[in-house]
Amino acid sequence: MTTVTGYKENENSTTLIYFQLDEKWKNCTGKGVSVAIIDSGIDADHPDLQGKVKESVEAKKDKTRIVFEPSDAGDSAGHGTACAGIISGIASDAEFYSIKVLGAGGLGDGQAFLAGLEYAINNRYRIVNLSLGTTKPQFFAPLHDLLDRAYQAGCIVVAAANNLPQPSFPSVFSSSLISVSKSEEKNPLNFGFRYGEVIELTAPGVNIRTPWLDGGYRNLTGNSFACPHIVGIIALILEDHPNFTPFQVKSALYAIAEENLEKAENK
Amino acid sequence: MPDENLANQEEKFRSIIEIIDIAHTLTEPINYSIVNLLKLSADQMDSDEASVIIRDGDEGEMKFLAAIGKVADQVINLKIPSGKGIAGFVLSSGQPMAVSEVGEENSFYAEVDRQTGYSTQTILATPLRFNDEIIGVLEYVNRKGKPPFEAFTADEMDKAAIFADTIASLVNVYEIAELSKNFSNKILLSDEKFKFNEVREWLNDVRSSAEHKQTIDLALLIKEIANRGENERRMCKQILEAILQYSDNTTETSYLNF
Repeated sequence: MTTVTGYKENENSTTLIYFQLDEKWKNCTGKGVSVAIIDSGIDADHPDLQGKVKESVEAKKDKTRIVFEPSDAGDSAGHGTACAGIISGIASDAEFYSIKVLGAGGLGDGQAFLAGLEYAINNRYRIVNLSLGTTKPQFFAPLHDLLDRAYQAGCIVVAAANNLPQPSFPSVFSSSLISVSKSEEKNPLNFGFRYGEVIELTAPGVNIRTPWLDGGYRNLTGNSFACPHIVGIIALILEDHPNFTPFQVKSALYAIAEENLEKAENK
Repeated sequence: MPDENLANQEEKFRSIIEIIDIAHTLTEPINYSIVNLLKLSADQMDSDEASVIIRDGDEGEMKFLAAIGKVADQVINLKIPSGKGIAGFVLSSGQPMAVSEVGEENSFYAEVDRQTGYSTQTILATPLRFNDEIIGVLEYVNRKGKPPFEAFTADEMDKAAIFADTIASLVNVYEIAELSKNFSNKILLSDEKFKFNEVREWLNDVRSSAEHKQTIDLALLIKEIANRGENERRMCKQILEAILQYSDNTTETSYLNF
């Protein structure tokens, strides 16, 4: 039994509450949990993902702004399919919403990426998988604003850390999102939480077997593939506790990771 | 004054041709340096096959700029459609990726393999960044020796990023020199009268790159010296050779001390 500390707001005050996370979430499948994948699209015909992709939209330029239109373009690179496949491997009943911002000619810059995140928040998807980021300083402030909006709307944004030795946004924001870097671990349940570090979560991300284009599978390495492992775990927790706030989810992850560490040390 | 106009025209032509010459003189050694760096880095990555892929136009398309390995000659200048394959993803996302068992897919790499007869099995692709812009992709393909090849590791991903920084600087200079050549060629081939304001604006842009400015200034200085006469040319050559010799010795000493 894991005890999690959180705050609950009521009409008059903010009260400290305690809640207990039993092991039930480990038997969940992510049923009824909506997951947005902001990426290169998803191959909805992949055997591992058939019937699971509820909607696919694609970023298009409309004069100076970006709009999202229904898309049947699938996945141009394989990356989005891989992320969805990893999540589906952990939370087999999670519902996917593909927001394609990469791969279209002339797009794929920070602007499309921000627009995709705003689209996900406006649609109130419960979890947002962001295996993307930007290092451009001009996107720092607008991304910070969007992440705060996501937090207030109850959207749990999970972002992959930069694979290169420089900060990328939003993964370096600490309060309003969950950021993840790769570990050599293979078991998705054995993720880690490094409290006080810029990138707090660690999850499997080295040589991970994932669905790929044309019904195939690949072995992939990168922080991009650690991020969906945590998204999958959150989908399980949210099925069991659908009203958890982003703060409570993060607290739950922390508590589970502490328990993982304890178990590993006692072995 | 038709003669005077003709003389002006000739002078303008000469200026443009000089720009093309300088740009041409620059691109060849840069390309050579990129290939050398590819060889050096591929060796460190336990691979024999590597390539540099750069942007081709504004719509996310790419082309192979340099390559080493068995099918290097066949892939040079090969085009990659926008957002396609691992290189397309790395270019648009700016994130490196290591993928193994690549050859199974019905994708861009399979197409390239069909064209070249090569068998791509494992890839490490990392972005080439310059001034916060992603200007291309550095790829290492397969391992030394015989298959099956081990996947590239997370440590090798970090190592490739260091090589990518150096290669990106060279690619940037190469692209500016290429731009110079193409722009000047376009002017020469054009029937329209020369638009020298455009040339001046373009030169200002080029000169905003500090490295390029220094190289071009050096090239112009050498040209100026060469125009002064045979004695000056000979002396300049001796001085430059002495600098090279000094540089070689310095490198050796540093290496030994290290």
